[in-house]
Amino acid sequence: MTAEAPAQPTITIDGRVVPFLPGDTIMKAAEKAALDGTIPRFCYHPGLPVAGTCRMCTVEVEKAPKLMTSCSTPCTDGMIVHTQSDKVKKSREGVMEFLLANHPLDCPVCDQAGECSLQNYNYEYGPRTSEFQEQKRTWSKSTTKKLSDKLTLNMNRCIHCERCVRFTDDVTKTHELTMLNRGWKKELVSAEDLGVVSEYQGNIADICPVGAITFNDFRFQKRVWFLKPRPTLCDGCSKGCAVWADEEKDTIYRYRARRNDEVNGHWICDSGRVSFHTYENPNRIVEPLLKVNNHLIATNWETLAPSFVKELQRAARIILVIGTDATLEEMKEILTLKSLVRNAVFDVRFYNGTSGVHTSADDKAIDDVLRRLDQTSNTKGAESLGLTPLSQNGQGSASSAYDLAIYFRGGRAGIPLKLATKEFGWGVFSKDEVQRFDGVLPGLATVEKSGSYINAAGNTQKFVAAVKAKGSSASVTRILEGLFVVARREADLGVN
Amino acid sequence: MTIVVARHEKISDRFYLVALAQGLVVTMKQMLRSLFGKGIVTIEYPEKRREYSQRFRGAHFISVDSKKTENCTACYLCQTVCPADCITIVAGERDAATSEYGVKKEKRPLSFDIDALRCCFCGFCEEACPKDAIKLSRSYEMATLTREEAQYDLKFLVREVKDRG
Repeated sequence: MTAEAPAQPTITIDGRVVPFLPGDTIMKAAEKAALDGTIPRFCYHPGLPVAGTCRMCTVEVEKAPKLMTSCSTPCTDGMIVHTQSDKVKKSREGVMEFLLANHPLDCPVCDQAGECSLQNYNYEYGPRTSEFQEQKRTWSKSTTKKLSDKLTLNMNRCIHCERCVRFTDDVTKTHELTMLNRGWKKELVSAEDLGVVSEYQGNIADICPVGAITFNDFRFQKRVWFLKPRPTLCDGCSKGCAVWADEEKDTIYRYRARRNDEVNGHWICDSGRVSFHTYENPNRIVEPLLKVNNHLIATNWETLAPSFVKELQRAARIILVIGTDATLEEMKEILTLKSLVRNAVFDVRFYNGTSGVHTSADDKAIDDVLRRLDQTSNTKGAESLGLTPLSQNGQGSASSAYDLAIYFRGGRAGIPLKLATKEFGWGVFSKDEVQRFDGVLPGLATVEKSGSYINAAGNTQKFVAAVKAKGSSASVTRILEGLFVVARREADLGVN
Repeated sequence: MTIVVARHEKISDRFYLVALAQGLVVTMKQMLRSLFGKGIVTIEYPEKRREYSQRFRGAHFISVDSKKTENCTACYLCQTVCPADCITIVAGERDAATSEYGVKKEKRPLSFDIDALRCCFCGFCEEACPKDAIKLSRSYEMATLTREEAQYDLKFLVREVKDRG
């Protein structure tokens, strides 16, 4: 007799037979069966340990005397679960009514409105009226309390799901937040009133199912229903976290963590969360610049391209410095610039610019969660193309004095010290960075271009443009096309 | 292609004086009636003004509280509902520690602009407002000499309007 492989255990959810792995909870099995969303939840978050306190996810399990919390009840073979029965619906309605008893009706001024679990679930499951006639509980001291310079707490809105407490306990392990007192007086406080100190505070605002904790950088900036989430990558460090860039009319208002279990899980760091300000910076160069009479003046591509080509063809020793925040595709493409050069030395180097990071070997994690030392996104990518790094201190060796240096970067890599008599910037720069340059060719930032990065772990991640390019800034492909057209035309005319 | 339409006019039609006299009679009748009779339809604007219904929708204003602070909380609901896309709000924060309102009214409009030339006076903004802040007054004299004057800002909107104007 051959031993039969044991059949995979199954449970039945709302009449659908769902296989599960031993140890899965009902919630997990439902999520795997794409029944996600059918079980409402407040305290459960896939990235946090299970608490089972909100009672919103209770479901009816046959032969069980009471409703069971689906987030914490493990599946057993042959279990029959009802998520939409009358008993369950009545329970949800009760939970909603209790939560709303003390919840203020300030949705119009609350930033969470539009993406609020309490709001959404109340439409779906809540009672239409409330029996609560008494005075609502209010917190005089913690209605608008700064938990740190990044977070604001409004205790009136809190529903005591304790996601924030579990986040500081289990993800950042900084243990700043805790719940004080019990029942009616249960209040979220920071330990010794020192506030939140971790570098991952933005996630607390993200996971807060209501508007109790808001992120100051986004507070009152936009109502969320105007925003369209676009998937993109954070280029703030070599981790390459997946983010949602929420934009309206090609302006980005915030980054949110996008789940990617291989890279960043559910979280992103605070410096990454606000890194989009680099592209929204009013001082960003978005028009071509050219130095005339020792002053950089804004011009157009038609003026800049011929003078740039002329400099390329006049120089005898040229160095192209590629920032390690360019995409793989851009790096490959910009190397074709060599064919514009006549008999000159054409050196190509990559440059990171983060202090202490020279190549990807110097890169290391700077905490236990996500952040890495390398502040650019594609150092591994530059190395995979076989490029050589610029010398340690960012200065060309004394023997190799160059006539022309071109610094190409995506906005994060450093700018080396002066390498040549003539210098051109290509990519994303801000006004104060370019003063010593002889010209700037405005390029695209991560959110404006498509391409791929290789992160510190060696994962190649592709991304597509989230917003349109600002001003006259253009992709490497378009700029190169223009330069080649100009060069060909001038060759035809015999201009030297 | 031309279509020839024949006119069959009688002698009396061709002799225009009769029709002329008939028209003059109508004119005189109306003139005398509006001078002496009842049923005068015109008024002597601007000395006399017509009283419009309480529900008339005219120039916008934002209601204020007893301390002359606008009731608007910059919730953007009017901007969202506006079919003409004529409302632009920038929200800001009142410092709860120094504001006399404390945490109440912590969210406020830094600027509140209405392009009255785009507005179609549907009144949706009034209906959407949870704070009864934006309202349409009964003032209908909104003609301006320049387009800029028709761009209402917050300073203009919080003007005193009694009994909806």
